[in-house]
Amino acid sequence: MIAAIGLVVGIIAGLFLEPTVPQWLQPYLPIAVVAALDAVFGGLRSLLDGIFDDKVFVVSFVANVLVAALIVYLGDQLGVGSQLSTGVVVVLGIRIFSNAAAIRRHLFRA
Amino acid sequence: MSTDAPAPVPPHHVSGPAPWAGRDRLRGALRPRATRGQLIAAVLCGMLGFAAAVQVRANQDSDLAGLRQTDLVRILDDVTERSARLQAEARDLEAARAEVTDDTNGSRAALEEARARVRTLGILAGTVPATGPGIEFTISDPKGEVQADLLLDALQELRDAGAEAVEISTPDGPRVRVVASTHLVDVDGGGAVEVDEKAIEAPYQFLVIGAARTLAAALDIPGGVLDVLRQRDASGQVTQRSEITISSLQPASAPEYARPAPEDGDDDNGGG
Repeated sequence: MIAAIGLVVGIIAGLFLEPTVPQWLQPYLPIAVVAALDAVFGGLRSLLDGIFDDKVFVVSFVANVLVAALIVYLGDQLGVGSQLSTGVVVVLGIRIFSNAAAIRRHLFRA
Repeated sequence: MSTDAPAPVPPHHVSGPAPWAGRDRLRGALRPRATRGQLIAAVLCGMLGFAAAVQVRANQDSDLAGLRQTDLVRILDDVTERSARLQAEARDLEAARAEVTDDTNGSRAALEEARARVRTLGILAGTVPATGPGIEFTISDPKGEVQADLLLDALQELRDAGAEAVEISTPDGPRVRVVASTHLVDVDGGGAVEVDEKAIEAPYQFLVIGAARTLAAALDIPGGVLDVLRQRDASGQVTQRSEITISSLQPASAPEYARPAPEDGDDDNGGG
């Protein structure tokens, strides 16, 4: 419950504060958002599995974001930034879908 | 769940763990408890929501600002190349337009020149009416002494004096435009001359366009046409006019045998 409230508060703050994204962060922010989304879905799934652990959630959240940003940074240095970003988004999307499928099975048994 | 039901439950219900355990856990999690896990999850979810909202807003603000350097360079290259291509195309089209305009002007000038030539040649060939200053020259021949040779002499004298258009006629009779091919033939019995197969009876009337004073003087020289007419008991009368109109025409006929010869003189002229 508190997590959902935190999500809503964060969205509202982002919409109303209208901060400008720093130049160095611009390539990484979208990938980081997708990676964090993956971590959140993974946490929700583990919660439904009954194996949710706050420490694991924090570590996976931060690690996901960092690894995604690192991959994008590496791709930029190698000159394949856009392609690698696409790859990361595809992989994270697949993970989000599989997590969402597990959550759906838990909630609706289907 | 009905735990007291004696009837055997379907196999897929027993195969899993507790059937609605997930929902129970979710319901439990939704219950607001200020545990450490809940707070951390709330903070992280807030960060996610914040970042997502910021990113969406930044993405809406501008198309180019969110792109990385390599993409921007590629887009710039594309745009530059496209602009170069369009400029080349514009140059080609402008050149084509200039060419077409030049062609049009050139053909218009050529057409104008050709028309002017047609007018000039038409006057010489007698195919168009002519007007201008000149003289009216009337030969009265009451005794029928004037013959074709005298008229031809008069004609040659007029041509020598610069006559540009000549018409021979008789009052209330046929009118003949005199051109290069005009021929004069005596008629038996005198008193008339056949000009281009048309019988012209005396008095013979010449309408001549040219320098009026020069033409009159040419006819009046000692031993000239007027002198000869007087010797033959005929008389000539010259009247200078500021405007004479010759309206009789000769049919334009294409030559049957003569053809334009190849212009060999061009190289000689050009080479000096």
